[in-house]
Amino acid sequence: MGKKDANVRMSLQTLRVLESFLENPTEQLSGADVHQRCRIASGTLYPILLRLESAGWFVSQWESIDPSSAGRPRRRLYRLTSTGLRRASEVFASFNRGVLA
Amino acid sequence: MSQRSVTHWLIHHAARHAPESLAERLEEEWLADLEVRTSGVSRLRFAIGCCWATQMIAWEHQPSRAAVASTATAGRGVIAYADQNFGFISLRSSTFFLVASLHIVLIYGFMTALSHTHKSVVPDPLQNRDLPRSQPDRIPPPLPGPTIKNPPIEVPKPPIDIPYEQDLESGVATAILQEPINPLPPGLPTPHVAKRIDGGPGAGFPDTADFYPSHSIRLGEQGVSTVRVCVDAKGRLTSDPTTLKGSGSARLDEGALMLARAGSGHYRAATEDGQPVSSCYPLGIRFQLKN
Repeated sequence: MGKKDANVRMSLQTLRVLESFLENPTEQLSGADVHQRCRIASGTLYPILLRLESAGWFVSQWESIDPSSAGRPRRRLYRLTSTGLRRASEVFASFNRGVLA
Repeated sequence: MSQRSVTHWLIHHAARHAPESLAERLEEEWLADLEVRTSGVSRLRFAIGCCWATQMIAWEHQPSRAAVASTATAGRGVIAYADQNFGFISLRSSTFFLVASLHIVLIYGFMTALSHTHKSVVPDPLQNRDLPRSQPDRIPPPLPGPTIKNPPIEVPKPPIDIPYEQDLESGVATAILQEPINPLPPGLPTPHVAKRIDGGPGAGFPDTADFYPSHSIRLGEQGVSTVRVCVDAKGRLTSDPTTLKGSGSARLDEGALMLARAGSGHYRAATEDGQPVSSCYPLGIRFQLKN
């Protein structure tokens, strides 16, 4: 979806979303999971997720369940890409170096 | 319409306004995430947030925005991200600061306008002006009152029957008293009438000027205040003096009472047959300014 390895507006909410994914980079999280970790409102959260996905930092896919047997609709799961992991690490490393200080 | 149907309608409405390529995906994704929320208020907030998210997503997926994004240079570090976009201030934060700034400007404007209004009502300093003397109103003559005619009083003449002798040559009549006139019944002693002399201020009585109220002096108040004093045989007050007739000024009347109190012991007692006795009498105190 969209270009890969593009820049992303780095707001504080975006950093919190990245931080929740960096806790376990291989983990797949839905929007509801990210909300429970970051407590970011849906009006802000989903544009960030789509923005990071458009930039190639995330990839998303539908949950592989049968909604009728599970009794609930399938969720959209997001996961960090290798590019996203590298760029997110650079962002947090720049904080540690005091770039913004 | 139940709360569940309202949230579903809001999400469906929000997804319908999203970019066409994302509408179906977003609706399914949001409906799935909505099921995680148990509280009705939380579900409603989530649905309303999705409406806001749609606006943001649609705005970011505009062709002009995409062109800008495609020509943006990729930089390293957070500063580069900040330069390309709006820095660390999101659109929502910018809107918030804009609205807050407008409120501050409006509040400042109201405060300033109120302070100017307050200054405008401060009166000018007082100025004295000599006004022309107005003509006194003409007093109409009094209306003629009813005429009261006093009836003549007729006093009956007492019968005078005094025997007299008339000198025929001189024409002078001489009354003949048959017995001396004595109004008192016989046998009673003649009453003694004591010779009484009223008292007054005696030696050492305070000076009136010492009790002239200073405020009355400034105002030029003058007058006579009559107080009633009760004095014993030694010239001392036996009771507190009281005002019998005021001078027209409460200050002068109070000064007269203070003078009367201060003069206790310096009064000249009244005498009866030369002997001092206790008595009460009026005492006039005159307050008069000296030229």
